[in-house]
Amino acid sequence: MAGASAADPSTPAPTQTKKNIPLARKPSGISRELYSLIGPSAPTLVAQVAKPRLKQKPNLGSGGSTKWTWRSFKNPARTDRLELGHWVKADTDPDAEYSFAKYNVKLVDYTYSQDEYIKFLEDPEWTKEETDYLFSLIREYDSRFYIITDRYEFAGGPPRSMEDLKDRYYSICRKLIRNRPWAGDEASKSQLVSSFQFDKEREVMRKKYLLSLENRTPKDLAEEEALYIELKRLEQNEKRFKQDRERLLRTLLGVDSGLPDLPIDEDGPLGDPKKKKKGVPGELDSPATPSSSLFTSAVPKRAQSAKSAAHDALHCIQRTDGTTPAGSMLRSFRLAYPKAAIAAKVSQMAAELGISLSRLVMPTRDTLAQHDALLEAITALVETKKVADRVDQEIRTARMRLGMRESETPAETPMDVDEDRQAPDTPGEGRAQSVVSTRSGRISSVDTSGTSTTRVGTKRQKLS
Amino acid sequence: MSTERIRVKGLSIYRPIIYGNTAVVLTPEEREAHPSREYTHRWTVAVRSASSAEDSDIVGGADDLGYFIRRVTFKLHETYPNPSRNVDKPPFEVTETGWGEFEIQIRITFIPEAGEKPVLLYHHLKLHPWTASGADADAPPPTDVAAQLGPVHSWQYDEIVFTDPFQQFLNTLTSHPPTQLPKTRRRPVPFHTANPSSLDASKGGVPEFTAAMEKEEIQRLEEARKSVVAEQEKLHASLIEKEKELEKLRRDLGDA
Repeated sequence: MAGASAADPSTPAPTQTKKNIPLARKPSGISRELYSLIGPSAPTLVAQVAKPRLKQKPNLGSGGSTKWTWRSFKNPARTDRLELGHWVKADTDPDAEYSFAKYNVKLVDYTYSQDEYIKFLEDPEWTKEETDYLFSLIREYDSRFYIITDRYEFAGGPPRSMEDLKDRYYSICRKLIRNRPWAGDEASKSQLVSSFQFDKEREVMRKKYLLSLENRTPKDLAEEEALYIELKRLEQNEKRFKQDRERLLRTLLGVDSGLPDLPIDEDGPLGDPKKKKKGVPGELDSPATPSSSLFTSAVPKRAQSAKSAAHDALHCIQRTDGTTPAGSMLRSFRLAYPKAAIAAKVSQMAAELGISLSRLVMPTRDTLAQHDALLEAITALVETKKVADRVDQEIRTARMRLGMRESETPAETPMDVDEDRQAPDTPGEGRAQSVVSTRSGRISSVDTSGTSTTRVGTKRQKLS
Repeated sequence: MSTERIRVKGLSIYRPIIYGNTAVVLTPEEREAHPSREYTHRWTVAVRSASSAEDSDIVGGADDLGYFIRRVTFKLHETYPNPSRNVDKPPFEVTETGWGEFEIQIRITFIPEAGEKPVLLYHHLKLHPWTASGADADAPPPTDVAAQLGPVHSWQYDEIVFTDPFQQFLNTLTSHPPTQLPKTRRRPVPFHTANPSSLDASKGGVPEFTAAMEKEEIQRLEEARKSVVAEQEKLHASLIEKEKELEKLRRDLGDA
């Protein structure tokens, strides 16, 4: 009994303390009812009622004022050494180059020889004289085509639009780059070629569009506006109609009631006209899905090719384009050799470079490709030399004829002075002697032959 | 069976090889012992795989080429007894003594399942030490000097290329991937007349072919090409000037 009575008051006691302890711990800022509902697991609100942090005030005016000075500067783009002044911060380097000088980019001057013109640049629409004229204008006006078109006046030529001029110029540049030996790799070459890309048709079309856009009357504009609004309205209507229809379908077919596999034609019986366009790549409104699926299919392919490349390298397998005949051979059998007509000159030039064209240390596919490129470059150089020699020869004959004519008519002195100035520029002529003999032994011509013999001497030295 | 006799189109498979010779000067005792007194050198001509085995004292030969080569025929100078030497199993090499350099014809015959014709190559037997000019313009040094210089190595790298190989042969080849050439130089560089500047690097032991040699050659060719292109551009500019001058002269002639 006593034990029971002792137990009796003890039983309510723990329950009381149980109730009391959490109540005592109830944090402020939360109602008692809510706390008893959610218990101690409720997130503490203290963190959330923290004081909002404000942005730090910008620190103004602490660094003091910047000092500026008036300095004179040189613009390297000027040839006349004019000095102008400007304000600069005092702490800039006084010897630094004029910072805007880097924007004075000189155009790469593309010129062509007679030979190249005949070989690559012939065009029935253009004569060489007119092309030369175009290039001189481009040089003069730094390829500012509006000015060039404005000044363009070639006597006897057809009228040219800006697109005609651009097309001619850019196509020549492309052809020259493509046909000349290239020092860098293929990628940089094609990059340069593509920088000279010009699509005349497209450009003409573009300008036509712009013109028609510019020439719209107010009436046209109003009509366009009205049509645009009408289109928007139709689109919105369609959207609403589609939503309604979808809701109806869901209710009728019971998609919401656990039949998700039921096929629903989202585009409706007529189909969404936009949907058909989606497959077209490059379309502005095409969604991300088709392109991303393209990517996913492309990526594993690339990974696989990397794997097979490693496999190929291990087994020394190379993919061919099918031009090499089937069978066995040694790699060095494919070594290219120069054309018989110029073989001697080519191998001499290679010897000067310290290269043996007939043998390679390591005949592999890559070294053979390099060897090919080198041979091609040397061949081009030898051929250019041939043309240059021919022109030299022609200059000499022309000079001689001029000289003969002069000796017949000694009154023409100005021509004489001109020739004497030019003569030392042409290297090594054996014929200078004969010029001297035909002309009546003037001091100037003796002088000319003297310079040319020293020229021959230096040339020999270089060869040996 | 029918699938085995089909050529696999659009690919070629190659095996890097080297061919050439190593020559040493005979010691006076050996010369005494030899029936023919004027013989001065012992040489070994061989066809081997291009990469050298670790710690081997020969050039190349890391792989056994017997899996695709059935026979190598070395055609020596006619003065040798039985000048056409057939070697039917690796190592594909012939060792002889002699006193003179001559051209050796080497014919490599492939295993029958390759279905490919033999390839023919030529090697100039090299006995005398390399000189800076590469050519033997001056007389070779006396044998006692040459003996001190050590063995002479003359090796040419090449690749045997099989374009569109038969399937079965391709399988045989791919089951024997060749040892890759070491990327960097570990031993002397094999001397080659196409690269005379390698003479110094070729001295001091048994040379070894490396992948770096290919890179070096590509660079050498590329630099030469760049200088050629630069010269071409210069010449071209002067040519255009000359053409202008010629035109002017012609005009003067026409006017006069």
